Amino acid sequence: MKFTPKQLQKNVNVSTTHPLVELLWMVGGLTFIIGLVFILLGITTDWAIAKTPVRIETWIGKLALKEFTTNNNPPLQQRLQELLEHLPADSPLHQYQFQVYLAASEEVNAIALPGGNIVVFSGLLQEVESENELAMVLAHELGHFAHRDHLRGLGRGLGITVATAMLFGESSSTSGLVSSALLSFNNRYSQRQEAAADRFGLDLLTKRYGHAGGATDFFARHNADAGAKTAYILASHPHPQARITALEQQITAKQYKNETTEALRDDVKLEDKE
Amino acid sequence: MIMTNVNTVPGKKIVEHFGIVQGSTVRAKHVGRDFMAGLKNLVGGELKGYTELLQDSRQEAMKRMEDQARQMGANAVVNIRFATSSVAQGAAELFAYGTAVRVE
Amino acid sequence: MEILLENLNLVIFLLLFIIGYTFGSLAEKRHYRSIIQREAELLKLAVVTAEGSFPAGQVKESALVSGSAVISIDYFKRILATLRNIFGGRVKSYESLVDRARREAILRMKEQAHKQGAKMVINMRLETATIGRNANQKKQIGSIEAIAYGTAIVMNK
Repeated sequence: MKFTPKQLQKNVNVSTTHPLVELLWMVGGLTFIIGLVFILLGITTDWAIAKTPVRIETWIGKLALKEFTTNNNPPLQQRLQELLEHLPADSPLHQYQFQVYLAASEEVNAIALPGGNIVVFSGLLQEVESENELAMVLAHELGHFAHRDHLRGLGRGLGITVATAMLFGESSSTSGLVSSALLSFNNRYSQRQEAAADRFGLDLLTKRYGHAGGATDFFARHNADAGAKTAYILASHPHPQARITALEQQITAKQYKNETTEALRDDVKLEDKE
Repeated sequence: MIMTNVNTVPGKKIVEHFGIVQGSTVRAKHVGRDFMAGLKNLVGGELKGYTELLQDSRQEAMKRMEDQARQMGANAVVNIRFATSSVAQGAAELFAYGTAVRVE
Repeated sequence: MEILLENLNLVIFLLLFIIGYTFGSLAEKRHYRSIIQREAELLKLAVVTAEGSFPAGQVKESALVSGSAVISIDYFKRILATLRNIFGGRVKSYESLVDRARREAILRMKEQAHKQGAKMVINMRLETATIGRNANQKKQIGSIEAIAYGTAIVMNK
């Protein structure tokens, strides 16, 4: 038998497509799929939210509230009641039994939980300097209830997790990739909700005090240490400066007056405040 | 000891068969190797540590098989096959088996 | 600068991605060059998967020869394969790795045979191992491992 050595010129076992081209196609496809899933999720959540009665919401709220160590806070409750009295008579918010809770946490934040529960972190209360600012914070959270954002956020978060787990397996690297992409989409979406809640809050604040003084004070104080604007592209809240600008635009457009603020009354002041 | 993976020992005549001999070894890599491999996983290229591990375990499996053959009084092993399996994560089982024979 | 710190995860990911791509494709190109060159050098050494039979007196010596190679995936290829898992189809990024591992293993076997003065390797077999299994799973070493072995024949003359 004769052996003739042959050198191969072409490698048939390896595809010649450039890897970057392949990457581009797949990233494009993935973005398309994610966008589709996101829109579908949005539609289903909105539909489900419209159908959810307040009774079920209250039950979900009780579950969610267990996550926080909270105390009912009468002075804050009183502020909220004062705000609620200024709601228009046809407001959907009248269905709720609102409860304000104070949670011990350094975080400068407040959360709207399902079932009319508002949790204010002590970190936020320490930062607040006037009655008007506090009313703005509470009114902002009421805005979330008015737009049913508290349920929407929950529904989307749940939907995203379930959808990615179903599509790509529970703990594979693929599902990690997709769900983190979806969640940053969601953050972008939630920036719009925050802006809407801000607008609702401003209107309510003006009804309560007759002027819009103090609406932007809180954000103005935070603006300095908020960092670059670009860092907020994927954040859940808009940049403070953007919020101030939007609020001021609305103040001008609706010709709200801007008067001096009322100093914070002693009953909500935290004892450990230096 | 002559080792081949064909039926015979080319050029020699088999005079006696002794049956199957086998050698196997399970070897794990150590953490250092794993760490280096982890780094290599970023940039690609050959994992020398793993190649060495593979080589070492193959040699050991062959040596064990050879020992068995020697016990049988054979001077060659023909028709050798290698097989691998993953017994535990990060460990390689290498398994060599063949037929022990005596050649002229 | 702050934006980099804010999105540290993303920055690290992109950095690894770029590093993986540049070094990975560099390593691959270099490896292929060396494979092709060595294959040309050892072209005369016949490797067949057949057993073959030899007339008495022609073969001086026969011995088992083997070679192995473990080729690592890189970060870029891993991501590409992860994406591929969504769409299905040919995992093109791994094709070259499998190809390189097999050819390298065969080359090493041939080099060993050449050192022993063999003219041919008969009954060559290929086997794959799994030390760093599950190339596609997170936090695991991804690698492609190949073993080649055969019987080297040294002729009389």
